[in-house]
Amino acid sequence: MEHQSSLNPIFSVSDFIASVNQTFEYAYPVVDVVGEVMSFKVNQGKFVFFDLKDSGGSIGCFMTVWQLRTPIEDGMKVVVRATAKLTQWGKFSLTVQSVRPSGAGSIKKSYELLKQKLEREGLFAPERKRLLPQMPHHIAVVSSTAAAGYADFVKIVGDRWGGLQIDVAHTQVQGQDAADQMIRAIRYFNEQETLAEVLVLVRGGGSADDLSCFNDERLVREIAASRIPTLVGVGHEVDETLAEFAADVRAATPSNAAQIIVPDKREIVADTQHVVALIAEKIYARIDEISAQVAVALLGLGRLCVQNYEHTVERVAAMGSVLSAYNPTAVLQRGYAIVRGAATIGSQITITTYSNEITAEVQHVEARKG
Amino acid sequence: MSKQEKGNINEKIAALNEYLEWFNGDDFTLEQSIEKYNEAKKLADEIQANLAELKNEITVVEKRFDTDTES
Repeated sequence: MEHQSSLNPIFSVSDFIASVNQTFEYAYPVVDVVGEVMSFKVNQGKFVFFDLKDSGGSIGCFMTVWQLRTPIEDGMKVVVRATAKLTQWGKFSLTVQSVRPSGAGSIKKSYELLKQKLEREGLFAPERKRLLPQMPHHIAVVSSTAAAGYADFVKIVGDRWGGLQIDVAHTQVQGQDAADQMIRAIRYFNEQETLAEVLVLVRGGGSADDLSCFNDERLVREIAASRIPTLVGVGHEVDETLAEFAADVRAATPSNAAQIIVPDKREIVADTQHVVALIAEKIYARIDEISAQVAVALLGLGRLCVQNYEHTVERVAAMGSVLSAYNPTAVLQRGYAIVRGAATIGSQITITTYSNEITAEVQHVEARKG
Repeated sequence: MSKQEKGNINEKIAALNEYLEWFNGDDFTLEQSIEKYNEAKKLADEIQANLAELKNEITVVEKRFDTDTES
């Protein structure tokens, strides 16, 4: 740099560019700029170029494909985090570190584009889903310990079950850095010597912008690649994030995640009491069954006794009839008589009739013919 | 509560279900049933008591996730 007599410095072109860039770095180490994407293109599959514009101006933007973590296209409103730079060709541009959609329309558009892309790759396929253990002992949680959603999750898990070892990674769950922090936390848990049985990501409700970090492509892929089975519960029931689709199990809310991950001890107690009641019923049923069998046997015995009695009565009656027929009085009653004494002339005989006892003398005896 | 004790709860629940199976099976006899019932009832009471005592152990990991550094 030279100096003239007027004290105005004279720069070489490259020095001036370097000086301007130094000024930019000092004034705006990092700047967030919102605008509409125009002329979006990717060169050689590596370099991304687009213009960021509003009604009053336009700035060229440059970034790498690797840094582009959410799909964008022309017309979308985005916020870029960037450093300002004057190139050696004298062109002013933003070197973008990250880009995120801004406004409901752009967030939704970006969400749909990424969802289609990941669906085509099979990242959300049902056959990839793993089952969670029914009664886990050790769970890992990624969330902000200051968030209401985390507090809900911990409270409901505590109400429902106990004896769990819960390891918590405290991360941001909204904002520019949230996705990266959650990715690091997921990796941390997946690199542990003893793995947790379930990895849970939870966050309470918020605006579409608040929840947009859960649609970050790298975060979604990290969840899908987790060695530990994953459970994600973000926002309210109506909210949908790609992180939830990539998870093995999706919960509607953090509270719902707690309900899914552990059984309710009150239900277990009720179940055990039900089993005991069922067992008691079985005993009563068996007693009733045996009592019924005894009653049937007694009834049979009673019937046999009655039958035997009736049979005996009938036999006695029959024998009585026979005996009646042999009764001498009955024969005398029919007009017959009993004669006792020797059948010789002159001897006395006794004649017994039904109503008289007669003594007579034998006057004639003659043998009967035929 | 340790993992082993927790395992015991699962084992107790499984054992309780085995009692129910015995009562549903062909081995069931009235003579043995009262003893088996008392054992099952005791097991159910133990499960209930164990569940009431259980507390979760929450540990916030010390590592920071706001930077890429190992800490």
